[in-house]
Amino acid sequence: MRLVWLNLRRSPIRTALTVLGTAIALGLFCLLEALLNAFNAGVEMSSASRLIVQHKESLTFMLPKAYASRIAQIDGIERIAEGTWFGGLYEAPLPDGGKRQEFFPNFAADMEPYLKLYPELIVSPERYEALMADQSGCLMGDELAARLGKNVGDRVLLRPLIWPNKDGKHWAFTIRAIYTCTGTFDRAMMLFHHKYLDEGRSFGSGQTGFYWVGIQNPEQFSEISAAIDRLFVNSPDPTRTMNEKAFNMQFLSMMGNLKLLFRFIGTVVIFTMLLISANTMMMSGRERTREMAILKAMGFSDVYVFGLLVGESVAIALLGFVLGGVGIWALINLGDWNPKPDFFPIFKVPDAAMYSAVGIAVLTGVLSGIVPGLAALRLKAAAALRSI
Amino acid sequence: MSVEPIVDLQDVTKIYYKGDNEILTLDHVTLQIQQGEFIALMGPSGSGKTTLLNLLGGLDTPTEGRVTVCGQDLSLLSARELARWRADHVGFVFQSFNLLPVLTARQNVELPLTLQSLSANERETHAETALRVVGLGERMDHRPSELSGGQEQRVAIARALACDPNLLLADEPTGDLDAKSARDVMHLLKRLNESFGKTIIIVTHDPHAAEFARRELHLEKGVLHMERTR
Repeated sequence: MRLVWLNLRRSPIRTALTVLGTAIALGLFCLLEALLNAFNAGVEMSSASRLIVQHKESLTFMLPKAYASRIAQIDGIERIAEGTWFGGLYEAPLPDGGKRQEFFPNFAADMEPYLKLYPELIVSPERYEALMADQSGCLMGDELAARLGKNVGDRVLLRPLIWPNKDGKHWAFTIRAIYTCTGTFDRAMMLFHHKYLDEGRSFGSGQTGFYWVGIQNPEQFSEISAAIDRLFVNSPDPTRTMNEKAFNMQFLSMMGNLKLLFRFIGTVVIFTMLLISANTMMMSGRERTREMAILKAMGFSDVYVFGLLVGESVAIALLGFVLGGVGIWALINLGDWNPKPDFFPIFKVPDAAMYSAVGIAVLTGVLSGIVPGLAALRLKAAAALRSI
Repeated sequence: MSVEPIVDLQDVTKIYYKGDNEILTLDHVTLQIQQGEFIALMGPSGSGKTTLLNLLGGLDTPTEGRVTVCGQDLSLLSARELARWRADHVGFVFQSFNLLPVLTARQNVELPLTLQSLSANERETHAETALRVVGLGERMDHRPSELSGGQEQRVAIARALACDPNLLLADEPTGDLDAKSARDVMHLLKRLNESFGKTIIIVTHDPHAAEFARRELHLEKGVLHMERTR
């Protein structure tokens, strides 16, 4: 081990550049995994006991509000809440006369059943009472409130991008409650009363975007989904019922196959890293043919000499992992760095990505060391000493 | 009572193949060397001296014949056993020293000792003793780049001695040295032979170096031609 370490210091600049190349590749891999994880956050926080009912054509088509009572009569359904994607843009004046604009998920929801459907959202009883008592009140995630610098009682103005207000002005809300949550639930959302939307919007009266449906037994998901969709199959607004995970996956699929794209970029980067590392190790191995022959003459076995070169290569890759992989992990997971907090409410490098990165580092080290290692393994000491 | 020779070569032939060409390097060589001898192996370039040395050290195998060293028929050993056998019985000294540049003199000498079942302290003590024997007690923590050629070769000799081998094989040990350093190295080898009873075989072109040996063997075109004993 000591010899491996000393050999790495033999050409410090070459070793440093190779470690840096590996670090950048593994750092980028961890960053891509964090991005994928951020995109998947909504999918991960899905519950099997919640279904979403939307228009069969697409989420942009609305459903009649009257569906709620008919759906609620189906056996196995515990509760139902209507919801509509509001998609408003936060605007606040800046001291220099400009406007601060922020985008974050904002929904109109049937607040009482919604909060029962989502026990992950934690709201104190007093705040809950205050929220329910104010029709223009809203509920905001603690991370979003911190980002906007808002607190309970503050006003929030949203510029409508989908639902214009009857008076043509911005929609005004008062923060009545701030939620925290358990698990990986999005803490950067804003929710407000659906009734407020219904009464204020200039069109779309009597319609809702979708329904959240809670079921008693997640194993009955297929039958209940089919039963809901059967109810409206011949109506002008047929429905498509899916579990929450599938619903959230829709948003990901709107962006194309991100997973494939990211993995492709990751693979290309890692393959490049492999070539850099292999090139370094082959140069290093070739330069030290004589040393390998001497070690064998001294009595070191072929396997030892092989292990020495592969060990060096693995050590370089692991140093790269520590610098790049662990560095990015520390920056994101410990330092809370987030390149776009409004877009990625949850931004962490998952543990699985770190295990993969260390596995890739070891594998790359072994693969790039294997060619010079095998050459050293097969090296005939007498021939090597004679030829030099 | 007859003493078993430390080296016993019986009708050894070595042929190298280069494409379709056969190169006869050793031609039916038979040779015995007794424990404690100091042999100089001489001859022109390409006469087979280094090949013979490599066969004695188990670095190469004969095409025909039998090589027995320290009572062991080397043809019976696998590559792994041969490596182990070399670690226990043979010390090599090369023309260009071949010290590992990243290690200090002490660490270079300790290197072959890592193959023995010794503690770190024991390894260090053995290495220091070997370096004192070659007169480098004061330069143990210097790297090869900080030593002269003669000192580097003495470190290489200490490294070869560290495991207390039965046989010391030196290939042109003075080839890269100036006259004074070459003389110093040969005096050292002679002292190791006379005071410590080491069996030493050197390959050399240099008649001055060969004068330190007690027996000279001359090879020409792979054939052992002449012997001279002092």
